[in-house]
Amino acid sequence: MTTALDLRDVSKVFGATRALWKVDLTVEHHEVLALLGENGCGKSTLVKVLAGVCEPEPGARMSVDGREVALPMAAGTSGGLGLSFVHQDLGLAKPLTVVENLLVGSLAVPGQAPHRIRWRRQVRAAAEMLASYGVEIDPRSVVDQLPPVDQALVAIARAADQLRRFRDTTGATSSVLVLDEPTVFLPEQEVEFLFDLVREVVASGSSVIFISHDLGAVRAIADRATILRDGRVVATTSMSEVTDDEVVELIVGPSAAAALNEVRSRPAPAPGGRETPVRVAGLGGGRVRDLHFDVAPGEIVGLAGLMGSGVEDVPYLLFGARQATSGTLTYADRVVELAHQRPMAAVSMGMALIPADRRRDAIAPAVSVAENMMMLVSRRFTRGGRLRLKELRRAADARAESLDIRPRRTSPPIGTLSGGNAQKVVLAKWLEIQPRLLVLHEPTQGVDVAARSEIYRVIERATETGMSVIWVSSDFEELATVCHRVVVVSDGVAAGQVDAAQLSPEAISTGVYAAARVSTASSLSTAGRASS
Amino acid sequence: MTPAPTTESRQTPPPAPGGRPADKRRDGRLLGQVAERTALPIALLLVVVVFSLVSPDRFFTTGNLTSILGSQSILFMLALAALVPSMAGDIDLSLGATGALAAIVVAVLNVNHGVPIGLACLLAVVAGAAAGGVNALFVVWFSTEPFIITLGTGTFFTGLVFWLANSTTIVGVSGSLATWTFLTRIATIPVQFYYCVLVMLVIWYVARFTPIGMRLLFVGQSREVAILSGIKANRVRAGSFVLGGTIAALAGVLYVGTTGSAGPSSVDTFLLPAYAAVFLGATSIEPGRFNALGTGVAVLFLATGVAGLQLLGAQDFAQQLFYGAALVVAVTLSRLVRGSTTR
Repeated sequence: MTTALDLRDVSKVFGATRALWKVDLTVEHHEVLALLGENGCGKSTLVKVLAGVCEPEPGARMSVDGREVALPMAAGTSGGLGLSFVHQDLGLAKPLTVVENLLVGSLAVPGQAPHRIRWRRQVRAAAEMLASYGVEIDPRSVVDQLPPVDQALVAIARAADQLRRFRDTTGATSSVLVLDEPTVFLPEQEVEFLFDLVREVVASGSSVIFISHDLGAVRAIADRATILRDGRVVATTSMSEVTDDEVVELIVGPSAAAALNEVRSRPAPAPGGRETPVRVAGLGGGRVRDLHFDVAPGEIVGLAGLMGSGVEDVPYLLFGARQATSGTLTYADRVVELAHQRPMAAVSMGMALIPADRRRDAIAPAVSVAENMMMLVSRRFTRGGRLRLKELRRAADARAESLDIRPRRTSPPIGTLSGGNAQKVVLAKWLEIQPRLLVLHEPTQGVDVAARSEIYRVIERATETGMSVIWVSSDFEELATVCHRVVVVSDGVAAGQVDAAQLSPEAISTGVYAAARVSTASSLSTAGRASS
Repeated sequence: MTPAPTTESRQTPPPAPGGRPADKRRDGRLLGQVAERTALPIALLLVVVVFSLVSPDRFFTTGNLTSILGSQSILFMLALAALVPSMAGDIDLSLGATGALAAIVVAVLNVNHGVPIGLACLLAVVAGAAAGGVNALFVVWFSTEPFIITLGTGTFFTGLVFWLANSTTIVGVSGSLATWTFLTRIATIPVQFYYCVLVMLVIWYVARFTPIGMRLLFVGQSREVAILSGIKANRVRAGSFVLGGTIAALAGVLYVGTTGSAGPSSVDTFLLPAYAAVFLGATSIEPGRFNALGTGVAVLFLATGVAGLQLLGAQDFAQQLFYGAALVVAVTLSRLVRGSTTR
């Protein structure tokens, strides 16, 4: 009996980190296999190996439907094996139209695309194809102008259609659809629709690898689960044989799970302190419409929401990195009009921003660790118009020691550090100016577990001196671990709050999805809100 | 903002979405879209009308038409050359020098070595393709910045031109080339203008209606998506450099045909207005995309504007002012157009 897909001994090493280590993975025919694990556990790398985008270390083996496939695959050959992918970023060319995006799959295969493209016919075929999956979108729309939900539907329908054509043309009975966190985009009713689509794909003879953080979705759809932690397979189990708690423990690891409970019992800061809280009022801009919340001195407030809720815009709007249209930030008796906020002004009033895209927005990869860390305070090391590099480096070395940054030497370029260590440097950079308000966006993306808890520890210590923290993350485990309370953002407004007493990943998740469902329903009843 | 499939099938709404509110919004935007895509052609008409009114006896004449369309064919061809790498998301600043290199190759082979003019032109085109190949080698295979690399190769090609020309202008190229480019006229317009229109139409057709064009579109607009979709992006980019060089060489051949000579400085002076046309063209017909028809309209707009100013007695510097301003305005406009498509 063959299997739909079989991987053996897949490893991948990036610098000093083992992204994958001797991973075995089997997908049976006609099954949905969930691939679970924390951010940075190696799921994405594994998917990239399957797609032929990332070259595994020698020794890895792979077979599809019993046939051995030579690794590494050339990019673009995975489609010819009956593998199809919907990635987190959907892989759509956003400036182009839906119908153009539907054509792209056939372009890579010589002879598959027609010699002359008849647009009218293509548009009609695209509409029919989408409709056959129950997706009603004008194929002539530019992808950028569709709401995120529709974008996800287009991407998933496109992949499913690709597999259908693969099976039709080759007569193959086996194909594998890889869904890499597709549910983060979708409110409840579309998730339901997605399940129908997945079941349809399975019934028609395909298998599905379903990657998600949403345990509810996994429970609803998956037959078995393979769980990765720090690049290794820690378990492969039938979903009917494990409880949710067991799955969570497998994902985060027993020690982290224990630590998680320990931190959670930490008391909230004493309310009604002497200092006034940081208050955000009427914030608008991007997808944010009218957001109000406040943060007491020493308090860590999480912001949670689905992708598209606007929550991911908040850090940049507060910092002036993206233009707000309205709103004020009240802060140490100063009222800042956010429409006129600028990053320079934000820094000078004691705000710090740790952005999600670390490589692009937070570090200069080719510049040394020491200089990255001390860039905001270089004046401190300048005397007589000259920068005392030796002093700067010595101070940086001391920080590296106290933050456990590895390697300890601060002269190499920061680009050579692992994600976790680079993030510690970014954190150290901001803590040098002793900010009164720290805004974080996905601060532990691509950060290993050890560095993560170190980051939590350092931030918590900094709050003891009265620093307020706004923590935006899609990792609800993390929010539940570090925050005093979590504000749920949906459709650009604060839709609810999870207080310290009920704080748990499940409570946040429930709040977020409940809010999303309400806002979807209301937007349908008001005949749709403007998407542009 | 909206590519052509929208215009083509505007009358036949797709079966699925009935009275979705999105559709009404889309219809409301239709007027704006039409205005956007026809702004440049209308500007061209306005320029023609204004100059005809101001100077009817000199501007609105067949002689002037011949002069504008004929003499600006070199610019037209070079703009089409610049269009191709631009569509692939690259830039090639060596195209002017490539055209000059082709021109000097024709002149040197024909005048100094007595090579038949047809063969000389063929070899010049091969040289242009090779120049494009050199750019592709460095930019695509060694993954370097096209901007700075082609600035370097362009300077290198200019050096070759000076060397081959011995820093003088070579005159006395076979008259039959002039017959085939500038002297033969169809409806009073030199035949070389029709060559340009032909090349433009071929690029337009290939880009809009063939899989090759779609690959080019994806590589240019979303390179990462193209690569992850299995499109051989490097091959597409390399091909666009080679094709750009080839078309630039054709511009060089037209230059020799028009002037009967080639010197140290020839086609390279057209590089800036060529890019002005390419970027101006990207604001029109298919706004937000580099496109052949838009480029063609933009060339006519620039050529007409300059010719009109000269007839009104403007000094030589007016041409530089006009071209320079047009490029800056075009790039700014295309930036604004793109801004409006990505909400």
